[in-house]
Amino acid sequence: MENDPPIVQFCPKGNVLVVAEQSLGQIQPVTLELLGAGRILADKMGKDLHCVIMGYDLGDLPNQLIHYGADVVYVADDEALQYYRTLPYRRVLVDLLDSLQEPPHTMLLGSSTTGRDLAPRIAAHFETGLTADCTELDIGPYEHKSKVDPTKLGLYPNCLYAIRPSFGESLKARILGPWKNPQMATTRPGVMIPLKIDTSRQGQIHNIPVKLNSEDLRLIVAETVKEVSSGLKLTEAEVIVSGGYGLGSKEGFELLEQLANCFNSNAIGASRKVVDLGWIPYQHQVGQTGKTVRPKLYIACGISGAIQHRVGMSKSNIIIAINKDMDAPIFKFAHQGIIGDIYQIVPELITQFKALQNKSALGGKSVVGSR
Amino acid sequence: MVKSLNIFVLVKQVPDQGSKAGLNPDGTIDRAKAKRMLNPFDRYALQAALHTKKQYGGKVTAISMGPPPAIEVLLETIEHGADRGFLLSDRRLAASDTLATAYALYKTVLYAGQFDLIFCGLQTTDGDTAQVGPQLAERLQLPQVTYCEDFSLENDKILAKRIIEGGYQKVVSSLPGLITVANSYHPLEYKSFKGAWRVQQLQRNPENLQKIIQTIDLDIIGADPDRCGLKGSPTIVAATEKVGDLGGNCHMHEGKSPYDLVQEVLACTNLQELVSN
Repeated sequence: MENDPPIVQFCPKGNVLVVAEQSLGQIQPVTLELLGAGRILADKMGKDLHCVIMGYDLGDLPNQLIHYGADVVYVADDEALQYYRTLPYRRVLVDLLDSLQEPPHTMLLGSSTTGRDLAPRIAAHFETGLTADCTELDIGPYEHKSKVDPTKLGLYPNCLYAIRPSFGESLKARILGPWKNPQMATTRPGVMIPLKIDTSRQGQIHNIPVKLNSEDLRLIVAETVKEVSSGLKLTEAEVIVSGGYGLGSKEGFELLEQLANCFNSNAIGASRKVVDLGWIPYQHQVGQTGKTVRPKLYIACGISGAIQHRVGMSKSNIIIAINKDMDAPIFKFAHQGIIGDIYQIVPELITQFKALQNKSALGGKSVVGSR
Repeated sequence: MVKSLNIFVLVKQVPDQGSKAGLNPDGTIDRAKAKRMLNPFDRYALQAALHTKKQYGGKVTAISMGPPPAIEVLLETIEHGADRGFLLSDRRLAASDTLATAYALYKTVLYAGQFDLIFCGLQTTDGDTAQVGPQLAERLQLPQVTYCEDFSLENDKILAKRIIEGGYQKVVSSLPGLITVANSYHPLEYKSFKGAWRVQQLQRNPENLQKIIQTIDLDIIGADPDRCGLKGSPTIVAATEKVGDLGGNCHMHEGKSPYDLVQEVLACTNLQELVSN
């Protein structure tokens, strides 16, 4: 039929490229997660999974990337790359992509402070699309029918589906840009599933040149400090007690602290609203613009449970929510909901958790029933 | 610092997600009805810009892109002490993704003139991408410090502290540069009396207002319309779907004494292994 859009014969060109992140000799978890996700995308297109790692004295790390799913690893090992810096890392990536016969089909980075710093530079340089903070990735067809730009019309069989929660709405948006490769996305740490390590996996390792100019060295890292904060890192704690606007004031977090201390491995979380209000530092924020957490127990105190918060904690094993408002969205996905005043319920929780502690200290059997 | 600094700050008007006004019954935002506000992250960027002016001397230029009502956020920056503003407003910018937005802002920055430092908020509350700042830095070929939570200027260098996972980095960068300011930076100070008075005067005199806050379009700044808006955007939102209820089987406890409520919850969950000994 004459009005049908032209069918673009599109055997996907290019492979899937994951930009690895390492720190102090360790591959970061988000990289292993990206390799897991990237492997699925590459297999779906019948393509290879490539990975690039930058740093200094990388040792066995390239092999580990192969063990976690990469077919080809590009290695940029240079003293100038010891610490992450925007411009040198950007230069290496730009040079790598320029040296390839065809650009990667898909390029993935973690939405860490590094990935969120680097990915937009690369996307802007190559003038290609980038979707931030994805919670799902897939490959699938897309037919573009809008005639605003006739050059975009057509059927595209293999597009990167970059799926992310949409702001302020209980919606997920599928964002894509099949017109130019690489199609780029960042994914949140803790969301994708890594492959099991397979030390028998084989792959190729290519060393790539590091050629920096003076422009690339306009910023130097004077000091890198890993802070051992008083509490555990949010992403590692077994139990997170989290506070929201319903606390009424920042003093409410003192009470939550007491509740959290009933548990061996605990951390304090917070909704974005109270972070914006300055009740608690940003490092405690859980949700779309904060951390993604998966603790064994998440106690949400006075948190309404907007989508932005939900995406950061909904995979917790047990979610207990306390809120005065019975219509709060958090009761749609919590496991145990208590309608009541935080300042009455939380002290009672502390008392009863302490009683539990004493019983277990006496060597008593579990006094609470299983689910 | 010997010379007077040219300090730019980028701000955006966003829907106020905290207010109930403009919320549809299903929880989605009705942008036409929603209250508008200065992007909360930009308050930190504005504070950083004003602090730089106060500490080292210079002039603060606020830049925004958006429909005509976005002039409100530029007036707000002047109330706080910014010196002048530019509003890029053009229908052809509709549906710009981050790449197209960064291009348009790049052309606006060039139009606005010389700069030493550009401050941006970490991200916006309506897009949440944190991409436009670095994309603008790429266009301008600038070094950048993202997630910056403190900084000072010394001998034409930026000394900055930036948040990284589980700690921080101290970096030294040359000027000019672009900084995205984390929300662990100092909160925005109150409006100045002088600034508020100045805005009152400006609102009474549209001619003066246009001198202080220039509203400009793509033609004025010489931007290529094909690189803006939908046409200039390499990504599109192809589909949206409702997020299904997760779990959806919340066991509710209500209408009893706190003691009984907590007893009930403990009876339904096994938390023994988690409590400390």
